[in-house]
Amino acid sequence: MSSSLRSRGNLQWRQFRDALVALALLSGATLVGLALQGHVGLISLAMVYVLAVVFASYALPRMAAAISAVTAVALLNFFFIPPRFTLQVDAQESVVALFAMLSVALVVSHLGTALRQETEAARSSERRAIALQALAGELAESSQQAQIQALAQQFLARAFPGPCLVSLLAPDGELDLTADAIPTTRDGMLACIREAATLGPGTGRWARLDTWYVPIESEGHMGGAACIRNVSAPDHAGLEHAQAVCALAGHALWRLELAESMHAAEEQSRWHKAQNTFLAAVSHDLRTPLASIMGAASSLQTQRDKLPLMEQERLCALILSEANHLATLAENTLQLVRLENSGDLDRDWQSMEEIVGAVLARVRARDVGRRIRSNVPPRLPLIKADPVLLTQLLENLLDNALKYSADAIDLMVTSTVDVMELAVHDFGIGIPDGEELAIFEPYRRSDRSGQRGAGLGLAVCRAIARAHNGTLEMRRRDRGSSFILTLPVARVQPIPEPA
Amino acid sequence: MSLRVLVVEDDREIRALLRSSLGVEGFLVQTAVSVSEASAMLFHSLPDIVLLDLGLPDGDGADLVRRIRSQHGLPILVVSARHQEVEKVKLLDAGADDYLTKPFGVDELLARIRVTLRHRGTTHAPARTCHQHEDLAVDLGSRRVVVGGEPVHLTPTEFKLMARLAQSAGKVVTHRQLLADVWGPEFTDHTHYLRLYMGQLRAKIEKDPAEPRHLLTETGVGYRLAAA
Repeated sequence: MSSSLRSRGNLQWRQFRDALVALALLSGATLVGLALQGHVGLISLAMVYVLAVVFASYALPRMAAAISAVTAVALLNFFFIPPRFTLQVDAQESVVALFAMLSVALVVSHLGTALRQETEAARSSERRAIALQALAGELAESSQQAQIQALAQQFLARAFPGPCLVSLLAPDGELDLTADAIPTTRDGMLACIREAATLGPGTGRWARLDTWYVPIESEGHMGGAACIRNVSAPDHAGLEHAQAVCALAGHALWRLELAESMHAAEEQSRWHKAQNTFLAAVSHDLRTPLASIMGAASSLQTQRDKLPLMEQERLCALILSEANHLATLAENTLQLVRLENSGDLDRDWQSMEEIVGAVLARVRARDVGRRIRSNVPPRLPLIKADPVLLTQLLENLLDNALKYSADAIDLMVTSTVDVMELAVHDFGIGIPDGEELAIFEPYRRSDRSGQRGAGLGLAVCRAIARAHNGTLEMRRRDRGSSFILTLPVARVQPIPEPA
Repeated sequence: MSLRVLVVEDDREIRALLRSSLGVEGFLVQTAVSVSEASAMLFHSLPDIVLLDLGLPDGDGADLVRRIRSQHGLPILVVSARHQEVEKVKLLDAGADDYLTKPFGVDELLARIRVTLRHRGTTHAPARTCHQHEDLAVDLGSRRVVVGGEPVHLTPTEFKLMARLAQSAGKVVTHRQLLADVWGPEFTDHTHYLRLYMGQLRAKIEKDPAEPRHLLTETGVGYRLAAA
């Protein structure tokens, strides 16, 4: 509404300006004529007016130019043709001259206007071509629907005076219009999408509207529609421009959709590949201990009487340790799947001292030489965590350290205002070059010691750290390696007792 | 006379294993495969201890525990897998005495049964007034706590917490039970009270608070005061 008012104001301003220009040209010609009068003949004076008409025809619209031409002849008659200062004409000769002058003025003004219009058309089509090029360039770089929508809207608004609106089709077939959009806009857009054709003046459909509805599509894939208000029927070049902008936007949308589906397909195939690797590794890691168990058990079953007691006990111990290994593996596999599938943790305020204590109570059974030295400072802040998961993480780290090094193992907890760090240092042979990241991958294992790992331990540890918004890193030292768990500490600690 | 154990377990192999390994130790073993069968058997005769597996086909073990608890003080030992924390705690809160995490060895099972039988029952247990384990002695009557011969001063809340654990020494007490008994039933989800007060208690009682010998943590479940 406000913009249609504005365009009406523009029109009035333009008419006023045209009248001023005509007045200036004609009064200028008259002044020049009055100055030259007496020095030159009537023909020269007539030429001054013709010149003014030529300028007017180039500067003014057709109707204004014609009116200027007629007025020029009248002024020539009034000021210079005797009897002067009347519109009467005495000599027959002068009548002929005046008519000739009128015809010349009209023809010149017609030609001038036509020339001017052609120049303007050429200029505007050049402008539009440049705009389309710029749009194409920017669309090629856009990677989001909203970006494409904004670009199309921006370029249409730049090319047309009336309000323009670009709306995209949501996956459910609805337009993403705001609630305050005019209902007819929605109807028009939906109609043009349904018919896959431009509607409005100059298109042969809905010709009596003052609005174009242009579909945004590419090769039959409808992306949305544009609505351009306050347009006039004969503006074919404008219509073509609007359609070109929409076609570019439609193409960009289609390209985006194709890229997305390709990306999804790639993800899918990568996931399948990872899943296959995972299954292959699981089945390998499950089969190996199972084979030991079956071998030992069947040997006990069939040859027990022949086996010395020591050997029988060794086989029993083997069955037990392999079964333990299988149990760990199964637990880790399940844990990994659970952590990947649900982001929900059972978090509560926990004390790191307590978690370390609980883990040490379990790990000491396997730490015969009491190699683990723990250093936990008093009065640590509490952390929001899932205690079962953190216990598992720490137990994994300590078990690894026990397995891969023969010397002391340091377990240190430190904390600052924002983070708590838990580090497990061992003095083993360290992680080989290039294995720093691989050790955190499910089912990769460093073959440095020839020992069999749980295969999943560190992958689970890292998943647990991440689920707590923390990190788990390996740092190499001069001797051995450190695994460092970093967890965020909430600035607001719980209050010990109600006030 | 040998003790009678009721094993409620739906897996046939584990049932058979438990029957044989408990049988060898001199227990009289009865088995049930579901909560309903166990209820029926309990109706006829009472065993001395119940071994209850989580994840039985016909549902809620907590109901069974509550029903047993409402009438009898016989010890109930819950057997669970590692990921069944929530359910396990529910059963402990309902009145089960202790739990075992699968997979477990027979030695661990026997040890737990022994401990549970020693501190048998919750309702019929005589009120414990003294606790003595290694260098720690707690006398609930005179409110005295002694570590290595030296008396230790505890604040009233610390002592209440210590006393609650001492009453169930050797058994796990869930977070919920501790919070309800020490602070009051409206504080059952204020687990941070426990973290803070257990930290203070350990600092006063343990030689190395980071590796406690008395106030043990049962991760995700509760606490246990170590007992012989």
